[in-house]
Amino acid sequence: MLTIKDLKVSIEDKTILNGINLEVKPGEVHAIMGPNGSGKSTLANAIAGREDYEVTSGSIEYKGEDLLEMEVDERALAGIFMAFQYPVEIPGVSTSNFLKSVINANRKARGKDELNAMEMLKFIRERINLVGMDEKFLRRSLNEGFSGGEKKRSEMLQMALLEPALAILDETDSGLDIDALRIVSGAVNKLRTEERSFVIVTHYQRLLDYIKPDYVHVLFDGRKTEVPQPLR
Amino acid sequence: MSCLMEEKQKFRNLFDKTEADSKQPAHPLDEYRQRAIDRAGQLDFPTRRWEEWKYTSVNRLLQPDYEIGQLVDVDPKVVNTFMPEGLDAHLIVFVNGRYSEQLSRAKELPAGMTVMPLQEAMDSDRFGTIAREQLDHIIDGQEHIFTALNMAFSQHSLFLHSDKNVVCEKPIYILHLSANEETPVLNSHMNIAVAETGSQFAYIEGQFEAPGAAGTYFNNIFNRVVVKANAHVHHYCLQQEGENGFLINKVDAEQDRDSTFSNYTVDLGGRLVRNNLDTLHKGSNLTTNYYGIYFGKEKQHIDNHTFIDHAVPHCQSNEMYKGIVTDRATGVFNGKVMVRKDAQKTNAFQQSSSLVLSNKAQMDSKPQLEIFADDVKCSHGATIGQLDETAVFYLRSRGLSDEQARAMLQHAFIAEVLDYFPHDSVRDYAETLINQKFEQ
Repeated sequence: MLTIKDLKVSIEDKTILNGINLEVKPGEVHAIMGPNGSGKSTLANAIAGREDYEVTSGSIEYKGEDLLEMEVDERALAGIFMAFQYPVEIPGVSTSNFLKSVINANRKARGKDELNAMEMLKFIRERINLVGMDEKFLRRSLNEGFSGGEKKRSEMLQMALLEPALAILDETDSGLDIDALRIVSGAVNKLRTEERSFVIVTHYQRLLDYIKPDYVHVLFDGRKTEVPQPLR
Repeated sequence: MSCLMEEKQKFRNLFDKTEADSKQPAHPLDEYRQRAIDRAGQLDFPTRRWEEWKYTSVNRLLQPDYEIGQLVDVDPKVVNTFMPEGLDAHLIVFVNGRYSEQLSRAKELPAGMTVMPLQEAMDSDRFGTIAREQLDHIIDGQEHIFTALNMAFSQHSLFLHSDKNVVCEKPIYILHLSANEETPVLNSHMNIAVAETGSQFAYIEGQFEAPGAAGTYFNNIFNRVVVKANAHVHHYCLQQEGENGFLINKVDAEQDRDSTFSNYTVDLGGRLVRNNLDTLHKGSNLTTNYYGIYFGKEKQHIDNHTFIDHAVPHCQSNEMYKGIVTDRATGVFNGKVMVRKDAQKTNAFQQSSSLVLSNKAQMDSKPQLEIFADDVKCSHGATIGQLDETAVFYLRSRGLSDEQARAMLQHAFIAEVLDYFPHDSVRDYAETLINQKFEQ
């Protein structure tokens, strides 16, 4: 699914990742842990394709293709989803309109028919319960004025609707109380399948009480500190 | 000595010629028109040395040799394209500034709601005094040359009036079609709108160019709006003038206690557009709302000058303008809020935000708060910027293309203002026009 080899990434000439290797197979859940500034989020963002993260060497291969050659939106349409650490507030774009646009863009890319208004509503309603989000959020501007927990639920809802092949969760658990954490991890567990892989970046071990990863990697100073051991 | 004397003389000559050729019977309005052209003779056209016209030059607007616009045939189907879907309105159509009976669609208005030609109002026992009072108000000491010229050339003007406690649910839609092909024309139109105590109505002005017309024209529009105690008036100005269209639009409003006046302006077209939106507060506990949208492309110049005169205590004003300029377009926002010494407990909010999307586009934004009272809440914000790149990235990370993401954000930027439009059909129509402009 995802093969990262000797990845070095810098931001504004400062090297953040200093040679990372990672192999994610279909259906696996990988947890990436480490202290602040160890490069966890940089790794997540480099996979998603953030432009100010410069890959200076190494490679990322996704489903046999060179990921680094793909645009941000191409990566998304190819099945990579990143749940943001800080979801962006977008005033004026209603959550429901946004969801409709992105769901249909993804369906189109996968050669499926676009959903009509009724099918769309049914689909969104079905998944919104999964993340315990109130339907009233659909009418509100995307993430605008959402609390921290609501923003993370909105990210989980998007993940549930876009059905990615590879989901990257960038500190989705940070700042969540125990109830919100249960909901977020519940959504991840429900979406776990034989084919779908997860890379979960987290600052706190607490998350791993709710999501059982197959591997745990610890980053320190832009490198992995130990060889990951299978947990099961 | 002003260098625009020659231009002024051209308008005088046009007036004299029009009067000489006129086959209309004499009417008391002519007296006002004569006063107005004389007044215009005493005033100067603004130059960029004037503080209020620093960012807008009217030279180009004054260059053409204008003739008076004439009523020409327009296919009635054309009118439908400028009707907001689902809008059940009393429709009055003007073509090149001339009333078109054939295109207008009168609806039954509630008793006590009057829409009639200004001349007719002046002649009537019921409205004669009111109409003259307002005409005197407009021309006595008028400092704005375009307003004086407006009155001088206004022969097809409207008088709108709601009696005490009359609520008119059906909006009044005044549609101006410019259908000029060759000679540059001058179209002048005035509305005098008076809402008596406790009454309520909404009127929409739509300014559009008829399909196929491409000639130069100058629309000089003036609105006098009087909102009495506890009355509520909604006023929409939607314009999509042609690329050779010049527009000067002035609104001179005054409000009495407990009233609401809301103006919704959408500027999408025109070569050069200047709006002056002024409201004077005469009683306490009233609310003024200004909501504006503009979108300039190519070489368009769109200038919004607004003024709210808080002269009495306990009043509220909300002002939100948002716009986009791209290509070589220029935008101007000058929002003046005066809080006079007695206007304690004023609550004034102003926000002007603009997106400048190309290197050659320009935006001049000037919030201007003059506060002489000490117990007030006034806030203002002016931003000029580009799209938030983190938001673009966020949308693209969900699978939207760069182009789709930017279009969505630009649309959203403007849509925030649309949410304040209380008439859904007008709101949807404005949104459709904006979307069309995005796709151009």
